[in-house]
Amino acid sequence: MTGGLGSIGIGPYLTVSAILLVLGVFGIFLNRKNVIIILMSIELILLSANLNFVAFSSALGDLSGQVFTLFVLTIAAAESAIGLAIVTVYFRNRGSIEVEDITMMKG
Amino acid sequence: MTSVLADYFPVLVFGVLAVIIAGAMLGSSLLFGHQKPYAEKVSAYECGFEAFDDARHRFDVRFYLVAILFIIFDLEVAFLFPWAVSLSRIGLFGFLSMMGFLGILTVGFIYEWCKGALDWD
Amino acid sequence: MNWTLALPEIVLALCGLAILVFGVVQKKGQPFLSCSMLTIGAFVLTAFLVVVSPDGTGYNHIFVNDSFARFMKLLSLAGGALATMLTVGYARELKVERFEFPVLLLFSTLGTMMMASSGNLMTLFIGLELSSLAIYILCAFARDDVRGAEAGLKYFVLGSLASGLLLYGSALVYGFAGTMEYGAIQTALSATSAVPMGLMIGIVFMLAGLTFKLSAVPFHMWTPDVYQGAPTPVTAFMAGAPKIAAFALLLRVMAGPFGHVAPQWQILIEAISIVSMLFGSLAAIPQTDIKRLMAYSSIGHMGYALMGLSAGTEEGMRGTLVYLTTYLLMNVGAFAVIIAMRRKGRAVTGIADLAGLGRTDPGLATAMAIFMFSMAGAPPLAGFFGKLMVFYAAINAHLFGLAAVGVVSSVIGAYYYVRIIKVMFFDEAAAPLDRRPLSLSFVSVGMGIATAGFLIVLGPVSTAAQAAAQALFR
Repeated sequence: MTGGLGSIGIGPYLTVSAILLVLGVFGIFLNRKNVIIILMSIELILLSANLNFVAFSSALGDLSGQVFTLFVLTIAAAESAIGLAIVTVYFRNRGSIEVEDITMMKG
Repeated sequence: MTSVLADYFPVLVFGVLAVIIAGAMLGSSLLFGHQKPYAEKVSAYECGFEAFDDARHRFDVRFYLVAILFIIFDLEVAFLFPWAVSLSRIGLFGFLSMMGFLGILTVGFIYEWCKGALDWD
Repeated sequence: MNWTLALPEIVLALCGLAILVFGVVQKKGQPFLSCSMLTIGAFVLTAFLVVVSPDGTGYNHIFVNDSFARFMKLLSLAGGALATMLTVGYARELKVERFEFPVLLLFSTLGTMMMASSGNLMTLFIGLELSSLAIYILCAFARDDVRGAEAGLKYFVLGSLASGLLLYGSALVYGFAGTMEYGAIQTALSATSAVPMGLMIGIVFMLAGLTFKLSAVPFHMWTPDVYQGAPTPVTAFMAGAPKIAAFALLLRVMAGPFGHVAPQWQILIEAISIVSMLFGSLAAIPQTDIKRLMAYSSIGHMGYALMGLSAGTEEGMRGTLVYLTTYLLMNVGAFAVIIAMRRKGRAVTGIADLAGLGRTDPGLATAMAIFMFSMAGAPPLAGFFGKLMVFYAAINAHLFGLAAVGVVSSVIGAYYYVRIIKVMFFDEAAAPLDRRPLSLSFVSVGMGIATAGFLIVLGPVSTAAQAAAQALFR
């Protein structure tokens, strides 16, 4: 399963993408300050999946993984645009985008 | 182990070259450039910010709008390049698919134009 | 290339674009009402096209149309159309009177239809995102409402996290199965006896992403807040079409490509089902806000519907499909009543605000009582048949523990549903509610009749569900 990847193999690629995924997830859950950082973490998660797709696509010699990556990039752009828009709306209402303040509703 | 490291040798060469070129550009402009800053020269150029200022202050929300619109529309190119390269092989269906995609984008563009998102004021 | 295969989706997308352009070129006023009507018309037209659409796979196997897809698409379209109808009455009061609202509902429904027809991991993800992205916006659609903005933000962050996990999982599945197509994954998995570890991790990640969209425990934490904060018609929509579509994906993926590794995921689904049912019924008891109560109730309902899937049989799938149909009916009806709860021009959502509704507004109270009894599973209402079928399937699959937990949690759940009825009919009457617009009466009466008389249509619905379940296993 090391088709187009040379002697490096697929292992390191999967490791890097797993690390990126974990960084992204922790960025969402451990971050107490700023919502923008959460947006960046979400992007990181999507990119880690993209890295996986490209690595697998190259290893399998199958292009559909790279096609998927293009779609994911577009979706990620749409998602961050919507995220920024929602953050803007939230900021106009509350005057703050600190994560600790997002507690209007509980229970 | 050595064989794996040998695989990464081109990366090392790449990194070293990048550092050398960047250093040469910055260094030569420091060495040979005439540096006489005056108010006109360091003032804002089209984007509305002071060129040398703290970046961490609030700025107009309209910049966000421009950024959001830009993100959405610049990614169409990511689809256009592969389409253009393979156009000879994908036939009429491929051609029409992209036309459909561009049509959808155009509807988005009409929407943002009519909504006045492109006007600064 | 079979062009007519995706005709309903293409037509719906074109209608959406046309309505968007129509709305934006209007010079004065908000064309909200006309756009809503056009959207409902587009839903009806698409539903007709779905019914007559042919079977088959197309576009390089990324798109599947079979009786399962048709069943799910009709449910989604019904959910979308009913949610649009619910918006019309109080759009101005809910601060959602802009023509983008029905258009976004339309595009979200289009995404759910894509999900029902996905034949490939790519269409799975794109359909899911198309439906979710529109809902993120809809949640924060009332721009000046603090709660709406917060609900939108919460749903966006957690929803994107779930989509990210799902995407990561599908990357692993792609890599270890070597292909993205459902059919090819199925062939690849049936060829080997040993399942690669990476593939199992991928399946678990995909399951996590999908259970989030279903709001099943342990990925339910967003549900109460988002249900409470979002504009009520959006909540009604969110509780319907997207969950049905997420179920469509779950059933198709689990029964099709991952059918050969069923023993590995079945236990997981069973556990999710058990904790969802118990959590949904226990956590709802102390609630005082009816929208939050509906959130916990929907968590519980997802647990029951998952019961059919964990049986893993054709009978179980049929039970799940019938359950989802009944869930859609009573859920939309209950939300129609909740939207009608307004006093002196302000929306009230406390359970105590329903007090004495049986005397001040007997019609509405009767409708609500029907929905609550149905949700509790009282015969001969719709909810009873759904529960009966999934319990039956679970027992036939020898999942006695699961069925027992289901029975216990329905008894617990009956407590809070009956409490609402008690508040409505036996408590001291509060001030009467405002006069409600015709559209809300229409939806609540229509859903009330459908829920109460479900027995009449039970035959056709379960025949259709049977055909749909058979298509899954073919």
